[in-house]
Amino acid sequence: MRSLPEADPGTPDLRSPSRYLLWNVRRQARPLTIGILLAILWYLAQAFVPAVIGNGIDAITAKDLDALLIWGAVLLALGVVQAVSGVIRHRYAVFNWLAAAYRTVQLTTRHATRLGATLPKRLSTGETVSVGTSDIAYIGSAFDILLRASGSIVAIITVTVILLVTSPALGLLVLIGVPIMVVAVGPLLKPLHKRQNAQRELQGDLATRAADIVAGLRVLRGVGGEPVFSARYQEESQRVRAAGVRVAKVESFMEGAQVLLPGLLIATVTGVGATLALGGSITAGQLVAFYGYALFLIAPLRTLTEAADAITKGHVAARRIVNILSIEPEIKGGAGTEAGGELVDTESGVAVQPGMFTALVTDTPEEAIAVADRLGRYTEGDVRFGGTPLADLAPAEVRRRILVADNNARLFAGRLRDELDITGEADDEKVRLALRAACAEDIVDALPGGLASHVAESGREFSGGQQQRLRLARALLADPEVLILVEPTSAVDAHSEARIAERLAAARKGRTTLVCTTSPLVLGRTDRVLHLADGVVRAEGTHHELLSRDAGYRATVTRGEN
Amino acid sequence: MSGRSLPVADQAQVRAYARRLMLKYPKELTYALGMHALAAVAGLASPPLLGRLVEGVERRGGVDVPLIVLAIVGFLVAQGVLVKLAIFASSRLGEKVLAELREEFVDRVLSLPLSTVERAGSGDLITRTSRDVSALQRSVRQAVPETLIAMVTCVFAVGALLIVGPLLALPSLIAVPLLWVSTRWYLKRARDGYLRENAAYADMTEGLAETVEGARTIEALGLQRRRHQRVDDDISRSYTAERYTLRLRTVWFPSIEVGYVIPVVATLVAGGVFYIQGWAALWQVTAATLYIQLLIDPLDRLLSWIDELQVGGAAMSRLLGVANVPDDRVPGDAVPRGEEIVATGVRFAYREGHDVLHDVSLTIAPGERIAMVGPSGAGKSTLGRLLAGIHGPREGAVTLGGVPLVDLPLDELRGHVALVTQEHHVFRGTLRDNVLIARPEADDEAVIRALSAVEAWEWVEALPGGLDTVVGSGGEIVSPAQAQQLALARLVLADPHTLVLDEATSLIDPKAARHLERSLAAVLEGRTVIAIAHRLYTAHDADRVAVVEDGRITELGSHDELVAAGGSYAALWESWHGAGTERAPAPREPAAS
Repeated sequence: MRSLPEADPGTPDLRSPSRYLLWNVRRQARPLTIGILLAILWYLAQAFVPAVIGNGIDAITAKDLDALLIWGAVLLALGVVQAVSGVIRHRYAVFNWLAAAYRTVQLTTRHATRLGATLPKRLSTGETVSVGTSDIAYIGSAFDILLRASGSIVAIITVTVILLVTSPALGLLVLIGVPIMVVAVGPLLKPLHKRQNAQRELQGDLATRAADIVAGLRVLRGVGGEPVFSARYQEESQRVRAAGVRVAKVESFMEGAQVLLPGLLIATVTGVGATLALGGSITAGQLVAFYGYALFLIAPLRTLTEAADAITKGHVAARRIVNILSIEPEIKGGAGTEAGGELVDTESGVAVQPGMFTALVTDTPEEAIAVADRLGRYTEGDVRFGGTPLADLAPAEVRRRILVADNNARLFAGRLRDELDITGEADDEKVRLALRAACAEDIVDALPGGLASHVAESGREFSGGQQQRLRLARALLADPEVLILVEPTSAVDAHSEARIAERLAAARKGRTTLVCTTSPLVLGRTDRVLHLADGVVRAEGTHHELLSRDAGYRATVTRGEN
Repeated sequence: MSGRSLPVADQAQVRAYARRLMLKYPKELTYALGMHALAAVAGLASPPLLGRLVEGVERRGGVDVPLIVLAIVGFLVAQGVLVKLAIFASSRLGEKVLAELREEFVDRVLSLPLSTVERAGSGDLITRTSRDVSALQRSVRQAVPETLIAMVTCVFAVGALLIVGPLLALPSLIAVPLLWVSTRWYLKRARDGYLRENAAYADMTEGLAETVEGARTIEALGLQRRRHQRVDDDISRSYTAERYTLRLRTVWFPSIEVGYVIPVVATLVAGGVFYIQGWAALWQVTAATLYIQLLIDPLDRLLSWIDELQVGGAAMSRLLGVANVPDDRVPGDAVPRGEEIVATGVRFAYREGHDVLHDVSLTIAPGERIAMVGPSGAGKSTLGRLLAGIHGPREGAVTLGGVPLVDLPLDELRGHVALVTQEHHVFRGTLRDNVLIARPEADDEAVIRALSAVEAWEWVEALPGGLDTVVGSGGEIVSPAQAQQLALARLVLADPHTLVLDEATSLIDPKAARHLERSLAAVLEGRTVIAIAHRLYTAHDADRVAVVEDGRITELGSHDELVAAGGSYAALWESWHGAGTERAPAPREPAAS
């Protein structure tokens, strides 16, 4: 078996879900084939067991010790073949499961990073979550079942042939009886699945309720309300219990039927077989063998039912994957490069001068975000960078040179130092300076492992203000030519804000920076302030100039109070 | 940041608890086990009957085929019915016990001491609530009954084997050492292996989710290659973990499968020899061989559910462990006289030897509005928690009307002081439910008044469902700012005498926040408000301002007094307000930085 993951997951066939699955089959054709062959061997070894036991019984009734020993040895050999082929088959099954699932993870990740900002616009969180939680597992399972399903088919054919050759009458009885028996429980399946789904849904609700209680525990313990929530949980819990009992009702019927139905068939086979044996057309051993076959056939038939289900689910999952993989990035660009210079948004008249620390003040946060998104080319707009339309530049070039750091940016899980220094090139001093500029040193100091500590997913163990300061440190370490900061201090206290404002100006000295904010502490540190009203620049100057001559500006930054 | 983990119950506790559960419903348990036993007995009738048939065939007669077949059918019907009844009875009992288990757990969570709730990171508790509860559910629904049934069936099958022919049971014993040794070897390693495997798999899916959800950030920062690397590393780790358990199974599976086939071969061959020697009848040999085959299935179930039982046991110990958190307060019976809050000589440390508050004293008069400002990490929030009675000071005292806050029973404490943090959790339910938490009996009018006080009624009214709009996970999306408004409305409705607001409006748009605070102040007229301020206007609007730096109150007085004093607050105010010099000096920096 090769090692996983593959270095390059390849380019999938996205024309349809089936083609996607087939493409995966081709990617792992070898392990799949070997696995299928082993599954066939494994099932065949089991299929011959009843015949061998029957022959053993015949040897006993004939008092033929040599034959008995031979059949005993054959039985043992079959057992060993079954055990060995079984476990190697299992290894291949696991490998095939993992190979398909891992490949899908790789493809999805790679595509998601290619889509970037387009992804959240085109896909709901529900869809993206299901990829990780269920879809990859369904695709894996579809590959896993292929092996056993192939083995089952061969085993069923083999047993059919043996039965018909030994006794056409009994053979037909088994052949007709077993499928009928498997189908007979069918009517129970629908209500069972329905009740199981209902139970699962209630159970999911209950789990959400519990998670809700835990997430809001501070509030509940702080202001009271535990009895209400305890009662609500209990009520839902009892509903889950009732649903569980409803499932059990059908399930127990099913279990009973699964004892009774094959039993009846086996009894019939035994009765008919005994009559035939008494008449001398089959031996006593063959009678035992028929009993064994009727028992054995249940397993491969169940595997086929299971396969139909798994492959259907895999197909549905593949459809979702294909949908995601088929999305194309919205923002396209040229291939040009540009020396850089003034960054101008024609629509609003916002001009960011190179090497300056500029501020953008808007009445509502949304206006600032709209301008920032245009300047960073997350949305289309007539924006020029040193005279060249941004649209003519290669998107990667734009991203490399202009960084829009907003409050929706995410912290990723990993070692804190690695997550802050995304270039991987900064030395300790540079990291220290960035943390200092973002006033984030105390956060790192409070961590038991300092910069080597592990950050949990999306930095959820940090408070909003702490996350904001860490994000700022990260943006500063990225050290882009043009840095656009959207409300970088909205969640920090005034003391820290004052320090950040001062240090930020120093940290970005000589670089181009635009900060969207209404905080006077920050504005007082900038070189130039642009005041936007109704989407266009109405006034510009230093913070103090605007304070004294622009009443609207004064109202915005001092929150209508003097 | 990484919160302390909660305690885990020990083996003895888990066992005692399991025993208590088992014996809590003796009637139901006896009935279910009895049914399973009867079903197992009925299932053991066919092999000897088939044996009789084989014998009859061998003797060419002397056997009543229809009668035997009828007997087989009769036992089968009985078995089918008994299995149905047994499974239903045990499932019903299982659901009952399970409901009790999870309800007790949630009640334990709901009575966690305040200081633990405030300090321990919620990660551990969330894992227990989600992963451990569902692991236990799997255990109770499947592993427990499967092992019980398998055990009952095995016991009876062995018993039947012994009745049919004690000698014929002997050859099977040669497989026991193989099964025993290999299973022990496997189980010793399996649990950790599977835990690692699950953790690695969860890391991988989490990494995928992170990539998909953070796609814009990845593009902005050019993290593409890092994400590819991260996912490939995760996959590689997951594969290593998978390979480990695969190796375990590669040894264990064939061992037990050979272990199953050996008794069948041994019984067949030895039985044949016995028959040829005249020590056993043909029906006995046939029945014994079939019994051995019948044993394989329950035995296999037994072995394969054992590790699931272990997982269930581990989950149970984590769920029970929540109750092991020692209570953080011993309520006395002193009744506070008045609502004056006094902190005297307060020192406090989260970790021994690391005081975060040094000798803090502060007297807050009833009805006073006091604002605390200071750099992050200076101890403002900690002081706020002490003033709200969540933690007790290491040294010194925080009293309310002369009674230490931590000596008050929780219900009593809440009637006096409440804390609202910047944490914004919206509960799943209607908007009304979200506001009513502290006072479930309040009417709509009161709810609307509370919402109006925090300027939230306007947007609530605009929602299609109004107060009946379902919010929280899966419901209408409520912005963080709106969530903070709801948290405040909750408090307004609860109406305690003293409110500690820890950056309770930090997520609200600055302009709107000030508006809100004004309207809130009007409603809270006469109430004591301790606001840990994030914005300077909060300080400006307060009666007194306390500047907290390095765990000490360094400045205390009214806004005007502090501005006149020309300390760090004055400097901050100047630069914030922009009325001072062109470039105001930055506030004094702590010596540490």
